[in-house]
Amino acid sequence: MLIALSMLIFLMLRLAPGDPIDAYIDPNIPMSPADLADLRSRLGLDQPLPLQYLGWLQQALTGNLGYSIKRLDQPVLGLVLSRIGPTVLLMGTALVFAVIAGIAFGVISAVRRNSIADLSLSIVALAGISSPAFLSALIGLYVFSVRLHWMPSGGMLTPGEEFSIGDLLHHLILPAALLSVAQGALIMRYMRASLLEVLNQDYVRTARAKGVHKFWVIAKHALRNALLPIVTLVGSTIGLAIGGAIFIESVFNWPGMGLLLVDAVQTRDYPVIMGATLIIGACVIVVNLLTDITYAVVDPRIKVG
Amino acid sequence: MKRLSRLSVAALGAMLSTVAVPALVASAIATQAEAATLSGGFDVGPGGFQGNFNPLAATSGFTWLSVYYEPLITYDEKLQKVVGALASSYEVSPDQMTYTFKLADAKWHDGKPFTAKDAKFTMGLAMDAKTGSVLAARLKAVSSVVAPDDHTVVIKLSAPSGSLLDTMTKVMMLPEHALSSIPADQLAKSTWWSTTPIGTGPFKFTKYVSDQYVELAANTDYRGGKPALERVINRYFANPAAAIAALRSGEIQFTYVDSNDVPTFKDNKDFKVIEGDSFVVNYLGFNHDSPIWKDVRVRKAVMYAINRDAIIKSLYGGAAKPANCAYVAEQLIPQGIDNYAYDPEKAKQLLTEAGWDQINGGKPITLLTYYTTPLATNVLAAVQAMLAQVGINIVPRAVDTPTYNSIVLNATPDIAQFQMVYAGLQNGPDAGSINVGLNEKQIPPAGPNVARVRMPDLSKALDTALGEPDIAKRDAAYQDVCKVMNTNLPWATLWVANRYGVVSAKVKDFVWTPAPGGGPYQADPQKWSVAE
Repeated sequence: MLIALSMLIFLMLRLAPGDPIDAYIDPNIPMSPADLADLRSRLGLDQPLPLQYLGWLQQALTGNLGYSIKRLDQPVLGLVLSRIGPTVLLMGTALVFAVIAGIAFGVISAVRRNSIADLSLSIVALAGISSPAFLSALIGLYVFSVRLHWMPSGGMLTPGEEFSIGDLLHHLILPAALLSVAQGALIMRYMRASLLEVLNQDYVRTARAKGVHKFWVIAKHALRNALLPIVTLVGSTIGLAIGGAIFIESVFNWPGMGLLLVDAVQTRDYPVIMGATLIIGACVIVVNLLTDITYAVVDPRIKVG
Repeated sequence: MKRLSRLSVAALGAMLSTVAVPALVASAIATQAEAATLSGGFDVGPGGFQGNFNPLAATSGFTWLSVYYEPLITYDEKLQKVVGALASSYEVSPDQMTYTFKLADAKWHDGKPFTAKDAKFTMGLAMDAKTGSVLAARLKAVSSVVAPDDHTVVIKLSAPSGSLLDTMTKVMMLPEHALSSIPADQLAKSTWWSTTPIGTGPFKFTKYVSDQYVELAANTDYRGGKPALERVINRYFANPAAAIAALRSGEIQFTYVDSNDVPTFKDNKDFKVIEGDSFVVNYLGFNHDSPIWKDVRVRKAVMYAINRDAIIKSLYGGAAKPANCAYVAEQLIPQGIDNYAYDPEKAKQLLTEAGWDQINGGKPITLLTYYTTPLATNVLAAVQAMLAQVGINIVPRAVDTPTYNSIVLNATPDIAQFQMVYAGLQNGPDAGSINVGLNEKQIPPAGPNVARVRMPDLSKALDTALGEPDIAKRDAAYQDVCKVMNTNLPWATLWVANRYGVVSAKVKDFVWTPAPGGGPYQADPQKWSVAE
């Protein structure tokens, strides 16, 4: 699957106009094409495409993803690996925000169906689902950073300062919260629908009839069953979240895979694009596997193996 | 209901705690910018080159590189004349074939003395294309570099060159003792550039955090005096808008800004707007391989049809000069050239005379550009509307730089993809910079004459000007170039716009100018300071 993905990415990249050398030239201050041809041949860009791909694949199978073209001194594998941490941190925090907020508000909405709280939460959720990441990111940046000065406008750590967890969190909260908006809103809507369905089932009615406290009816009996679709949802929106992370990272200069990938695409840095997409692809596959395993935990009827 | 609300409160509490607690912790330790540190987006905008550390491979980014490296000579702050940097003085022989540089007493950041041997070594690297040097082609006229003593470097040329001094301002001196052990073809890949580089400038390299920032510390032994700042930080931003957000929130004190963002800073006393000549002439390049532009009357009609004064006034806020050839500098403009004042009736008449209906009529004409800023989009919309009024139907297409280059630099191009380009070319401080875009010898693949201009008169005028060693005569020669351009219209020249930087009012003695490629120029970073 990963090989098919790499082949697809390779083909799409080469179909896009321009190559790394074209990206290197400033149209205002041009370079001699003879020098450019020389640079191309040194990078192996003058070879036939199938040869270039096979060369890359051969190296990749041995774990060598090649060297970045733009950053001449850096191997792609190291570059990509160094970016996984920040992206996982950002996406993980956003996921935690989304799951907690989504479930909490979903429960409130379901339990107080048709109340003012339900209505206003539904409106907020609709707005959250419909606002693309780049829009909410820009609005959030303008309000919390430029206007209110509560949060830094970008980066992961304050330049020139010693590392501290507080500094990291200060930089992390705004992008993570904004990234969680769409996912959280989606989870809330599903949670609400799913819980309403469960609440109408016989065993819930039985529990209530036995005189179980309403809090425990929901927390112990209804919630667990209502969570199953949420697990599926979280698993399947990881790909979506990666897309959102690319926007958020660009807006907030968060040094993760998204920023690396956008920069690599703009400079046509082929080895970095290939390496990064390959590793993102591998991550999505692993996350889907984890989702399947989580089912077994949430629903005892499903057995692993 | 009461019981139910317990559930809601519990859920809400859990939600809030995840968001609010870290926020409180974080704001309690919110960081404050230290007064002795200046942070800026030095590599934001067209003069910057984020992520480049190697001056030999630098097509731009010299504003930042020259904070820790130094060339032998540099431009003054106004980009009007060449002055000494690491060379305390220089002399050019009367035949313009020998350049003698007297070197200042300077030290590398590791304490070792800077000598003529280092200068000779650096020239060797810069002239060798194997090192990845982008200067090699421009230094082809150099026949020898000798170091008769530790403080003298003599460069001899095989033919006079009007642009050698300009090129020498871009040659940042490099330490022989640190780099001589690296083979030339491995130099570009060396990690030295981004980990332990040393120069002779007022600040020394301390740290690079990948894609986030570069940090420099004061070089207390600097020959020009101990720097007032302790640190200078160059933050990286994905675009000028991100840098402006950081500037407004007080995280950085300086950045380049696009001209349409300038009005929001103009009346703000917390900031100072710095304005300067971009030295880039914007033009509509007629693709001379396309038959539709063959008749000069058609090209003239394009000039008359565009109300440049209106565009400059409304879109550039007045901060651009109309260009009637590649130049706007007074000493390069001859008397009596046509200023092509807006006259749509004349444009229509010229098109009728040329038989535009038969040549192309209302068929769409693709105009290709690599300018994707909101300003450029508005400019092209205005140009499109103005040309449509006289019956020329252009369709602007904005693409990213790699796409643009791959289309226009192609040796066998598809003319339909760019019957016209909207582009810019550097026209100073060295007036000869425009040669590559107009000389017949520079048609791709030989060079970047992307409009495929084949005008023998123009090529001849350019060649004469480039080979003229005498400065006064050279200006006269460039006036001839201007005259030919004004008459034959290889391009519809539009204007030379100003570019801008914004600096916090707290910063003192800061020198910045929007030089092409970022300079270099005399910025005196050792004098920069930030008030409390």
